[in-house]
Amino acid sequence: MRRYVLRRVAAFVATLFFVSALVFIVIRILPGDPAAVIMGTEGSPEAAARLREAMGLNRPLLVQYADWLTRALRGDLGTSIQYDVPVGRLIVTRLPVTLPLMLLAAFFMVFVALPLGIFAATRHRRLGDYVTMVISQLGIAVPSFWAGLLLILLFSVRLGWVQSGGFAGWDEGFWPALRSLLLPAIALGFFQAAVLIRATRSAVLDVLREDYVRTARAKGVREALVVVKHTFRNAMIPVVTVAGLQLGQLIAGSIILESVFALPGLGRLALNAITARDLPVVQGVTLFVASSIVAINFAVDLAYAMLDPRIRYD
Amino acid sequence: MIYRALALVLALVFAASFDPAPAAAQSSTLTVQASTEPPGLDMTATPASATAGVVFYNVQEALVKVDKHGKLVPWLAERWHTSDNKNYTFFLKKGVRFHNGRELKAADVKFVIERAMNPETKHPNPNQYRSITDIIVKDDYTVTIALKETNANFLLYMARAGSVIYPREAVDTLKSAPIGTGPFTLQEWVRGDKIILKKNPEYHVKGLPKLDRVTYRFIADPNAVQAALKAGDVDVSFFGLGPEHVVDLKKDARFQVIVGDTTNDVILAMNNSKKPYSDVKVRRAMTHAINKPDVLKGAMFGMGKILGTNVDPLNPYYVDMSSAVPYDPAKAKKLLAEAGYPNGFDTVLKVSPTYYYTVRTGEILADQLKKVGVNVKIEQIEWNQWLDRVFCRPASGCKEPEYDLTIIGHAESWDIANYANPKYYYRYDSKKFQDLFQKSEVTLEDKARREQYVSLQRMLVEDAPAVWLYMHPRLVVAKKNLTGIWKDLPVPSADLSEVGWTK
Repeated sequence: MRRYVLRRVAAFVATLFFVSALVFIVIRILPGDPAAVIMGTEGSPEAAARLREAMGLNRPLLVQYADWLTRALRGDLGTSIQYDVPVGRLIVTRLPVTLPLMLLAAFFMVFVALPLGIFAATRHRRLGDYVTMVISQLGIAVPSFWAGLLLILLFSVRLGWVQSGGFAGWDEGFWPALRSLLLPAIALGFFQAAVLIRATRSAVLDVLREDYVRTARAKGVREALVVVKHTFRNAMIPVVTVAGLQLGQLIAGSIILESVFALPGLGRLALNAITARDLPVVQGVTLFVASSIVAINFAVDLAYAMLDPRIRYD
Repeated sequence: MIYRALALVLALVFAASFDPAPAAAQSSTLTVQASTEPPGLDMTATPASATAGVVFYNVQEALVKVDKHGKLVPWLAERWHTSDNKNYTFFLKKGVRFHNGRELKAADVKFVIERAMNPETKHPNPNQYRSITDIIVKDDYTVTIALKETNANFLLYMARAGSVIYPREAVDTLKSAPIGTGPFTLQEWVRGDKIILKKNPEYHVKGLPKLDRVTYRFIADPNAVQAALKAGDVDVSFFGLGPEHVVDLKKDARFQVIVGDTTNDVILAMNNSKKPYSDVKVRRAMTHAINKPDVLKGAMFGMGKILGTNVDPLNPYYVDMSSAVPYDPAKAKKLLAEAGYPNGFDTVLKVSPTYYYTVRTGEILADQLKKVGVNVKIEQIEWNQWLDRVFCRPASGCKEPEYDLTIIGHAESWDIANYANPKYYYRYDSKKFQDLFQKSEVTLEDKARREQYVSLQRMLVEDAPAVWLYMHPRLVVAKKNLTGIWKDLPVPSADLSEVGWTK
């Protein structure tokens, strides 16, 4: 177990290193360097060159990256070019939006997908199965930003139950804040659930064909108990794997949905930063998101052992 | 069990949603939609219209103001005087206070303009101050600005967003907490979410502003803007809607729709230094091949105005030349044959989807040009790439623009000046035009200058360095009982000083 954890930590560090280097290089290759963006359309090449010098953009890419890395290791992610605020602080101020949004969306995703997946499996090749599969197919086909717009049209324009966008802020109280996250979380979670429904269905179907399920049924165990106790838990491993991957998808999807719902979250921060070539912010957010995804994958791996005691880490 | 708990939670959340909405917002507050968050609030550091849309005329003001009719009127300077058109003496309005309580003095004007002139401060329009040689403070309320040579645009430059007056002691916080003399003070900027302005009770124009509080909410997606308006979450959208949304909102009795004029000229730029566009016959053929009314109908639902040259309808010297080169595909074909392209040619149109109208206008143009044998391949590129490669911004070190055709809206007023700059990305190089333009820059007599401008516009029609398509209209949608909104937009701003609610 200890060796396993050590190996995972090493992989974690290597991933972050690779991701940060990749982002650093990619964003530098893009046309429109930060100095040119700041100077605007009338700035002279000389003034831009002076600014580049002052910002340290003239140094070799490797030196710049090493400089950024040593600072980042000390916990200093730099200062945003466009906002003039430390990147760490920017990320922290955006988390109270993005994190609850993720959790809520994940909650919706899991609690929609698991029951529907099990339901479809137990109604294999019957009406319930087909209906569920059609729903899931729709969920996969419908892009979440469009779903988000439809939800806005229904719940805020038609019915007036919730705000059409924006974030109330947690100091306005728990419910107002949660309410402003409800629609985007539904748009994200329900539609990400579509894939998970299919994974759950096929995993449960596989287990339902096992001998021990037949034995349980032969013993006269109630069907509900067969499904929940004997089948579901044993079907969890592929489901947890897909759910872990879906969580990464949720983070990607939030970039678009935060724009549709005008939420001041991490995704919008990243999007604006890319347009403005605000390198420190792009670097900081990417690093943060990459760490989160790696951490989720790690958690998924650990969950395997909990689900199946036969799995050992060494 | 767990699902019962879940059902309970969901029920609670929705029950909470049913709470009666908090009492309707007070009538003296306003929520404005803004499409992009300003990249900083310092107008002396960024030319971004998102910044001017919040700060200009609301938080900060200049010596001279461009009013809602596009006229230059005295503002922080209550009058000015010049006897030789080289030395301008400004007499400051007395008792004007900055938001920090200190009175505006002539020394502030000197500091602000000198700072703008200093290339180290990265002012976005350094060229505007190039002709200034000296700034002399005569007393606390009198300042004289001396010019190298007569400059017909000097007062206009003093009225632009980059020339706003701020207190010297607040220079370091312009980017995040700008201070000025405007009707509103900046109360809070929640990065990524909103900007809140608060009434300045000491405003130097009595009785203004009418609103107590203004909230700018950043909503980028035009469909989301439309939904926010309909749901009552925002009161007005100045820049965030396309024509299709305006058409829909027009049918809704709760809203007023304002379709006005702007200085934004949408053009099809051609690279004049590159074959085949180095041939004036080809450029004229392109103009003849384009059916502008159809373009306007298709791209803008007929809203906006057709252009014939690069002078917008808000310019005092505007001449309607929209039919000077009529739609005539047969003539276009003939001209192309004369230029050596009897079967037309293939060409690439580069557009950036950052501006929605460029792509759809390009699609219509491609279809029309096909009929005369010009096969247009549309390439969509990212905005910064457009600025670096197509526009060839000097700061990026670009030497030659890389494009055949592109579509963009030029929003600056008086930007006919760009055709006198052979280094501009049009690469239009006409000595005749440049000479006449230089002459017009030092001509102050109105009638003579008008004649020069008419000649300049004729010259452009003859040489056809670009195809001027249409003026992008101002599309404002606001709640019905909101008053005081400018109809036209002669200057990039969203002046809220006179905006208020009627009962």
